Amino acid sequence: MRLVIERGELLRALGHVTSVVERRTTIPILSNVLLQAQGTSVALKATDLEREVIEEAPATVEEPGALTVPAHMLHDIVRKLADGTQVKLERDEEQDRLTLSAGQSRFSLQTLPADDFPDIAIGEMPFSFECSATDLRRLIDKTRFAISTEETRYYLNGIYLHTAEGEGGPTLRAVATDGHRLAQVELALPEGAQGMPGIIIPRKTVHEVHRLLEASSGSVQVGVSETKVRFEIGTVTLTSKLIDGTFPDYSRVIPQSNDKELRVSNGDFIGAVDRVSTIASERGRAIKLSLDKDMLTLSVNNPEGGSATEELTVSYTSEPLEIGFNARYLLDITSQFEGEDAYFMLNDPGSPTMVRDPADESALYVLMPMRV
Amino acid sequence: MPVRQLSAKTINRIAAGEVIERPASVVKELVENAVDAGATEIEVVTASGGLSLIRVTDNGHGMAPQDLSLSVERHATSKLKEEDLFDIRSLGFRGEALPSIGSVARLEITSRPIGPGSANSIRVDQGTKSDIRPAASNQGTTIEVRDLFCATPARLKFLKSERAENMAVKDVVKRLAMAHPTIGFTVQTGERIGLKLPREAPDTKGLLQRLGHIMGREFLDDALEIAGERDGVRIMGFAGLPTLHRGDSTQQFLFVNGRPVKDKLLIGCVRAAYGDTIPRGRYPLLALFLDLEPRDVDVNVHPAKAEVRFKDTGLIRSLVIGSLRSALQQAGHKASSRGGVQTLQTFQSVVATNAQAVQAQSNHPQSFAKYPRSPAGMSPGLGEAMQAPFAQFDATSADASANAPFKHDQQSLQKPLGAARAQLHETYIVAQTTDSVVIVDQHAAHERLVYERMKKALQNGGIATQCLLIPAIVEVGADAADALCEKEDELRELGLALDRFGTATIAVREIPALLGDTDIEGLVKDLAAELLSEGPNLVLKERLEAVASRMACHGSVRAGRRLTPQEMNALLREMEQTPL
Repeated sequence: MRLVIERGELLRALGHVTSVVERRTTIPILSNVLLQAQGTSVALKATDLEREVIEEAPATVEEPGALTVPAHMLHDIVRKLADGTQVKLERDEEQDRLTLSAGQSRFSLQTLPADDFPDIAIGEMPFSFECSATDLRRLIDKTRFAISTEETRYYLNGIYLHTAEGEGGPTLRAVATDGHRLAQVELALPEGAQGMPGIIIPRKTVHEVHRLLEASSGSVQVGVSETKVRFEIGTVTLTSKLIDGTFPDYSRVIPQSNDKELRVSNGDFIGAVDRVSTIASERGRAIKLSLDKDMLTLSVNNPEGGSATEELTVSYTSEPLEIGFNARYLLDITSQFEGEDAYFMLNDPGSPTMVRDPADESALYVLMPMRV
Repeated sequence: MPVRQLSAKTINRIAAGEVIERPASVVKELVENAVDAGATEIEVVTASGGLSLIRVTDNGHGMAPQDLSLSVERHATSKLKEEDLFDIRSLGFRGEALPSIGSVARLEITSRPIGPGSANSIRVDQGTKSDIRPAASNQGTTIEVRDLFCATPARLKFLKSERAENMAVKDVVKRLAMAHPTIGFTVQTGERIGLKLPREAPDTKGLLQRLGHIMGREFLDDALEIAGERDGVRIMGFAGLPTLHRGDSTQQFLFVNGRPVKDKLLIGCVRAAYGDTIPRGRYPLLALFLDLEPRDVDVNVHPAKAEVRFKDTGLIRSLVIGSLRSALQQAGHKASSRGGVQTLQTFQSVVATNAQAVQAQSNHPQSFAKYPRSPAGMSPGLGEAMQAPFAQFDATSADASANAPFKHDQQSLQKPLGAARAQLHETYIVAQTTDSVVIVDQHAAHERLVYERMKKALQNGGIATQCLLIPAIVEVGADAADALCEKEDELRELGLALDRFGTATIAVREIPALLGDTDIEGLVKDLAAELLSEGPNLVLKERLEAVASRMACHGSVRAGRRLTPQEMNALLREMEQTPL
């Protein structure tokens, strides 16, 4: 294998793929990135056996071939090279090494055979649809904070993506919950997604996709099978295994009969919650919401640290209510909001509260209160 | 096969299987008899681990010839008033030991009662009784057991090495000796005198001496006297300081009415009483004696009487915990002296030079810098390492002591933890009291203080709970579900709300907010296991406290921070206030 590539192209590609490479692994080849030179480009591929990322970068290929080299080391080297340098990659047949030369620098990196590199992307994707990067990012952005990190309920360790019947027709819906709160966001069902199975996308994949989407504005091709999901974002392709489990029937926890409506200016609310919760103890951060006619009093009482209250003028006409929440959960939800107001539908201090963003009807949040 | 009545011999051998497990069990039965006979000197001799010979000699009240003959019969005893099985004031009462031993070995009893009579002896050879013959003996009883288990060779296969059996014999005698300090004990295993315990005075001093002989001098120096009484139950004994601990619980001795027992309840009480003062997995040393009306305790639970059952467990629990705690609290921060003395001895010569250093410092502050960096007379090894910070004055925070005026802390010198003198490696506070040196790990000390504060907040402020959006359904089994539901209210107070969800399943609706996104299933299963084993209900509390302790660790003064003398003294004073 022999090729020449521009440093910026190589760096961008490496940046996309190396983040799935675990720094410490028991299988040596998993810390490597696979380089495949063919035609007018080089394909870079990295995997952690749960997911793999492939990116193609234009290069002048003088001799096609494939090999693997330590991913993070290669990334670090390329990052430190001067911008605009032409990087020459050449395989040293005798020593089985990769020689990298750029300007006055020369590096010789140990390789492992390309044939040993695992391939997890094999398999058909019977369902395939296209959606805009912005939409996909919105689905992830507004739900991923609620993903559970608790390993024993592994089926909650991801975003549940599935088709559903929304208010305005069929939708593609993303749901995440950790058992304390739930986030649900949907978008109009894209062409081709009809009949796709419900899938649980693992947390790490969610974060990887989100990272790749940040740099992209075009459209994304999504392929789905029973066990895998594939995202084609620009020149990058990410294939990931899914969490093999059944997502609980979340629809039952979405309250239907909450009749106490609270409407509050979101900016004021976030500021007040943030201020008042300063007093709260490190964990468990309980904050009490006392509601009276058009008046919301936020209060925190920490026997160790003191107490704090703040009053907000709100729109509320139901009977008075006192209810406690975890302040961090409140902020997690309300900070996703796009509009000026936040809209709460409450019932009683022991049952779930629904929170909505009036500016985004497609998003819905459910939050369990705390007893304080 | 037709149903048959078993012969007396077989019955005795079966009974022997329960009572006589190994040579040590024989020793236990015989020594208990000797104690019950009011002996003041008891001698135990064994050969080849007790298999070829066990001889127990006492100077108790002995037996008359007719008693002698009856004593080896099954269910014959002088110790039990027929009408009341619940008023047991002696160690033995079942009337099983001698016939059991006699059925599996060759037994010879020689006894001379008090008074003018002469001695007599009787033999039982594997269950066959001989006639009574006159013999020569001093007052008291001598019992010889030869060829133990010759009648039940299967037992022999399950015995351990001679050494192990000897150890077990000594152990049995030790336990009984602890409960009876006024009796002298001698144990001879083979040719060697394995144990010699002189008679002690019949007061607590005597008891402590006896305990010291058995549990080691260390215990003697660092034991706290325990005494308490409530509703007719008396507790006395000695407990080691929290700084004196072992990796196993073999040095915890518990006695009920002079009877050594292993009781879960009592062991749990000890653990609860020492609480946070002992690191996890370490066990304090102690010997506790409970005395109560025989009617309030059932000793007839276990053939070897290793377990007892109390009528009023709550009373026993609160008494044991209460008296242990109060003794520990009175001791304050007294530390085990052993380690300290050893450490001081190791670098005594260094300490001497340091004293000069301090003198030089107070007389001529300016000449301080000229003080030699490696003082002569330093002992090698540990001494050097300890000395290093002092030798490089510019690199350490030892100047803390230089700033602390001596005359102001006369008062602090009187306090248990003394006056802070210096900080070593920016980690350890060295404090001086009127007659000793105290070294305190600042991080550990502060962590403990913060932890105590958090625990208090947990108790006072109530526990905030997070309601669950999706109740966690945990399958625990019907028994565990019953146990959990029974404790529902108690658990709710700790922040765990659950209710029944089918026969064997529990639905958890609220969890303590402190635990965050946690493994609920694991928690509930652990809880259930604990409730079923009837142990004290600690899991949930421990988990909460573990979170508190982790947070305490992060919220504490770190090692490596330089403290001013005022800060150090404040820390020491606060430590003195901390309850144990």
